[in-house]
Formats: sequence, C-alpha cells, structure tokens
Amino acid sequence: MSDYQATNAASSGVVVDKKHIKQLSRRSDKPGLIWLAQWLGFLLATSYLIHSSQNTVWLIPAMFLHGIFLTVPAYSLSHECAHGTAFKNRTINEVLFWISSFIYFEEPYHRRYAHTRHHTYTWINGKDAQMPFETPMDFKGWLLEVSGLGLFFYELKVFFENATGRFSDITREHTPESELPKLQRGAIIFLSAYATLIALAIAGYKWPLLYLIIPRILGGPVMLLFTLIQHVEMQENQVNILNSTRSFTTNWLARFLYMNMNNHVEHHLYPMVPFHQLPQLNESIKDQLYEPDPGFFRTNLEVLSVVIRRSLGKSTKAATIRQDPSMINS
Amino acid sequence: MSEWHRVCGTDEIDEEDVIQFNHGDKVYAVYNTEKGFFATDGICTHEHQELADGIVIGTVIECPLHQGRFEITDGCALSAPVCIDLKTYPVKVENNNVFIEL
Ligand code: FES
Repeated sequence: MSDYQATNAASSGVVVDKKHIKQLSRRSDKPGLIWLAQWLGFLLATSYLIHSSQNTVWLIPAMFLHGIFLTVPAYSLSHECAHGTAFKNRTINEVLFWISSFIYFEEPYHRRYAHTRHHTYTWINGKDAQMPFETPMDFKGWLLEVSGLGLFFYELKVFFENATGRFSDITREHTPESELPKLQRGAIIFLSAYATLIALAIAGYKWPLLYLIIPRILGGPVMLLFTLIQHVEMQENQVNILNSTRSFTTNWLARFLYMNMNNHVEHHLYPMVPFHQLPQLNESIKDQLYEPDPGFFRTNLEVLSVVIRRSLGKSTKAATIRQDPSMINS
Repeated sequence: MSEWHRVCGTDEIDEEDVIQFNHGDKVYAVYNTEKGFFATDGICTHEHQELADGIVIGTVIECPLHQGRFEITDGCALSAPVCIDLKTYPVKVENNNVFIEL
C-alpha cells in the first residue's frame, strides 16, 4: 500500500455513483471533431483578417485576435489530449496532442508526465510539477506570469535540459528512467522545428511571424489569465480539491476556447471525464461543490486587485472570489 | 499451487466494464470485453490506483488517475504515463460464473 493519497474526488469527499462516472467518461470522436472544425473555422477567419490588414494599423489588433484563437485553444487541446480524453480514436488524439503542444510550447512527453504530478499532488508545494509561480502572488509575480516570460524561460530551460540529456530532479521524479530517451528525442524535434521557423523568418518569409510567432506571443497573456485562476489564491499543501482549485462561470466563447476547463474543480475530481461532459458532471455533483467564481473577467480583476494590494502592503482580502484564509493578510 | 476462485456471476460485470476482486491481500481487476472475460492485477503499474474505477474501451483499460492505458488481453502497457505491463491471470466461465486462477 502506498503512503500517499492522490488528490481527486476520493481525497475530497466527493461521492458519485461509479456507473454514472463511467458513463460520463465514455469516449467519442464526434464532440472533439466538431470542436476542431469550429477552431479551424475561427483560425481561418482570423488569418484572413491578418492577411487583409497588412500594411494598415489593424495588423496588430488582427494578430492579437488571431493569437487568442490560436493560443488558448492550443493550450486547451494539448491539455485534453495529454489526458487522452479529447477523442476516442487514439491516433487523432496523439497527432493533435503533438501539434497543439508545439503551439503551446511544451514537448508532449514532458507535458504528459509533468501533468500526472499535477493531478497526484495538486497544489502541493515541492511535489506538484505545475505550480508555475511563487505564492502568495504579488504584482511582480503576476506580471512575470501573465506576460508569458515566466512560462517561456521555464519551458526553454526544460527544452534544453531534456534535449541535452541533463534532466532535472523533478523530471527524473515524474518520468520513469526508461522513458527519458523519448523526452530527449521530443525536445530535439521541437527545438529543431522552432529553429526552422525562426530561420524562415530571418530568411524573409513573413508567414511564420504573421500567423504563428507574433500571434502566439500576443495571445499568450490571455491563455495565462485562464490558467492563472485555476489555483491562484487557493489553499496549498492539502489533498482536498475543493479547497485547492477554482471553477468559474463564463460565456460560451470562453467555454469553447477553454474546452470547458472553467469547470476546473470537476476536472480535477474526475480527470477521466472528457471536456464535452464536464457541464454534465457539474450538474451531477454541484450540490457537493462550492459556488463557482463569478466570470473570467471579474475573477481576474479581483486577482489583479489582490496582487497589487499585496505588493502595496494593503489588505489582500478579495471582494467576492474564493480565497484561502492563509492568503489574506488582514 | 494455483487454484480456481469464483469471482462473480457473468451478469455481474456489465459489457465493456471491469470489477475489482480482492483475494488475500491482493487486488485483481476482472473484465468483461467484446473478446470475453479477462483478469489482470488490479493496481496500476504507474502509481497506486485501483483499475476497477477506470473505463474499458474495447479491450483497453484506462486508469482513472492519469489515463494510462493497458491492453487487457495481455496486460501490455500501451501509452504514457504507464510503461510497465500488468500481470494477467487465466479466467474461465462455467455455469454462468467467472473464475480466476491464482
Ligand atoms: S496511476 Fe494509473 S496512469 Fe497514473
């Protein structure tokens, strides 16, 4: 018997009929393919905006819009495919896992292994391999996180460590020895592909900059505002997902871009439930959960207000969003 | 010396599903698949997670904790994060009862 308790429904006292959970967890290709077609449709439309706004003042706004539609869904799809829940067909799942992880900027094997630690030890310091920022967060930490610089330098370091075979302690902890060569191969392939894109841009080809590199940089902060509020200001170092994780209500577009991960508590309780069944899962267990926080914008504004006040030495009590008492200084 | 042990009636495991069978201090998973009944160790080889809470997709069992996958018929680890195979056990069906040889 192991000496740890994984952070999930069992550790959080949430109970649902097993057959019902298995029913919700059934795999299907259709919802994922419909989502994919919609994503590609949005990308075509925003690409057209970039194409038709070249040499005008609208180019940067068009690239920003394209960046949102490129980056947030790439993160979401990479995450869903890391779980293998996006599609029933494993080949489709894995091909899209590699493509979306390439846009997200993390090598797929590393992404999958690091993410297992995030689920086993959600928001437990020193054990969760995906606690990307210092807590409690101050304004400087917020800027580093939301600008994308924190993630960029962290992932770049992991890429070079893994490509050169100098794996970090945490990578060795979450990845079996026999799998390390796959991480190394993946890191070399991705670094080579990124280098090729940059070389093409330097050689005068405009498309890598216009449709990929600059939009990815511009869209990064929007993606990071989504991921920031998954756990920020929540309780650390305990096994109850209800206390470590935040769900929030939001509109249809944000739910589409984020593949329903605004139901983040529900996802951590039952990670085998596919994205398209998370609203159903919420319906089934909502009487066992806290109320979700009120909206993407409001939750982010309140977090921003808290981190600014923390930097100024003022009260860090948030107005309405869920916040662990350990995060409140007066 | 191995022996046959009754697990359950054939109608006690839904089609494309799995149940847990405890014997001694060990945990086993017994499956009803499109290719018949099978049995493997009941704990994932990645971390300590009972596979009976996972889902059966064809002849694949997916672990509920990190969605690692094993081929049920031979225990083969199919995809990260699992990379160590599951041990499998002989199963027979007699008079609508499922038996496992341990
Ligand atoms: S515990 Fe089974 S895949 Fe991790």
